[in-house]
Amino acid sequence: MTTPLIGVSKSILKIKELINHVANTCLNVLITGETGVGKEVVAQNLYSESSRSSKSFVKINCAALPETLLESELYGYEKGAFTGAHKKRPGKFQTADKGVLFLDEIGDMPMALQSKMLHVLQSGEFSPLGSDQEFKTDVWVIAATNHNLEESMRKKIFREDLFYRLNIIKIEIPPLRERKEDIPSLIEYYFRLYQSEYPDNLGTRPDSDILAKLCNYSWPGNVRQLQNCIKKQMILKSWEKIFEELPKEHPEIVSQFTDDSQQNGSSHYTKSGFQSDRTRIISEFVDLSTSSDKLFEDISLKKIKKLASDKVEKEVITFVLEKVGWNRSRASKILKISYKTLLYKMNEFKVHPPVK
Amino acid sequence: MSGKNKLLIVDDNDDIRSTFYEFFNSLGYEVKTAGDGLTALKLLKDKPNFFDCLITDLVMPNISGLGLIAIVKKEFPDIKIIAMTGYGDQPGALASEVKADSVFFKPVELIKIENKVSELINPNNDKQ
Repeated sequence: MTTPLIGVSKSILKIKELINHVANTCLNVLITGETGVGKEVVAQNLYSESSRSSKSFVKINCAALPETLLESELYGYEKGAFTGAHKKRPGKFQTADKGVLFLDEIGDMPMALQSKMLHVLQSGEFSPLGSDQEFKTDVWVIAATNHNLEESMRKKIFREDLFYRLNIIKIEIPPLRERKEDIPSLIEYYFRLYQSEYPDNLGTRPDSDILAKLCNYSWPGNVRQLQNCIKKQMILKSWEKIFEELPKEHPEIVSQFTDDSQQNGSSHYTKSGFQSDRTRIISEFVDLSTSSDKLFEDISLKKIKKLASDKVEKEVITFVLEKVGWNRSRASKILKISYKTLLYKMNEFKVHPPVK
Repeated sequence: MSGKNKLLIVDDNDDIRSTFYEFFNSLGYEVKTAGDGLTALKLLKDKPNFFDCLITDLVMPNISGLGLIAIVKKEFPDIKIIAMTGYGDQPGALASEVKADSVFFKPVELIKIENKVSELINPNNDKQ
């Protein structure tokens, strides 16, 4: 069953309207948004509202497979095409014929495969590995990415011609923190869903205080993170524990909650002993509560490196700026970076002088 | 058909939209504008037999100009289409592929676009 697109925000309503107008055009779609915002949900909604809904919806994750494997998954191969190809195997372009091919994480597709993809999109033809025959395919391509492909094009890691061919319809899903009004309906939907899936686990619906705190949290892992929290709550039966485990991007919200609950004597929960240092550190950058398949997809050393270095850089910059009374020229000299770089980083990390 | 020729101008740039609006309006056209493809598509669906010509940018939010052209070609085949692009060769080449009647590269000369519009709408008239 297709997961409905849940939300009351202007951006979600607009996306629903857009789906309604373009689902039957079968024009290439590019869905963008941070990890966990629901790109696949949008793809499935497009599919289920289209005239192709009785055909197959085939998904492939372009970031999860090494280049050669991705190529054979997409196009299939003939017997003997390479060592280990004991028998002929159809590719996704063939199994998705007349239906939808959902190319998840298209921004991570290697350049060599991008040109081959472009050829299929232009001609509707492809040949399996080890075959010199061209096959005709009629697939509706819906691609998704959490990368900024315009930026990737500038860096020459994404082909411009492929971008324009995919970007015929663009659906941008904003992060959950920019559409907080969707949070209550998402909670209600997933609460009911998990309750029907696990009728023995009686979680509690958040009361108005908890709901306000949930709405104020920044949800760096977006809807998926919220879903996991609701699922966990069904088992832990405590919203306090859920707040304890949330990555402290907004420490004031979490600490406010734990202070309140401790004053009421309702919680003596401590984090020590529950999570090892290693998982605690990793969980700051990766959502460890997902299935291991999903988790392995999410773990990328490059991304984690960027998140971790950003976090430390932000702290160091703030520390130095505070020491020199927010004199940016002095701070840039101490940090041994140019004044311009400092301003850029302050802007990027949202480091602002205290308002007097 | 008597009366004014009707144009739909689609561009996500406010300045371009208002410049085109003023220009074509002053020449006696009836002009409507839209800032993105979805708004344009809704206008077209609201008034299916209204517009004579669509002038659209190619790179826009939600439904791109390329998407809009493909939909209009299929659902409103009588509407003439002029595509404009400022993003180099790629979108322009795709606009020809989706069969825009004419493609202009920005910056465009309004008078040349007007000549093209009148040529497309009234192919038998030597002079509009």
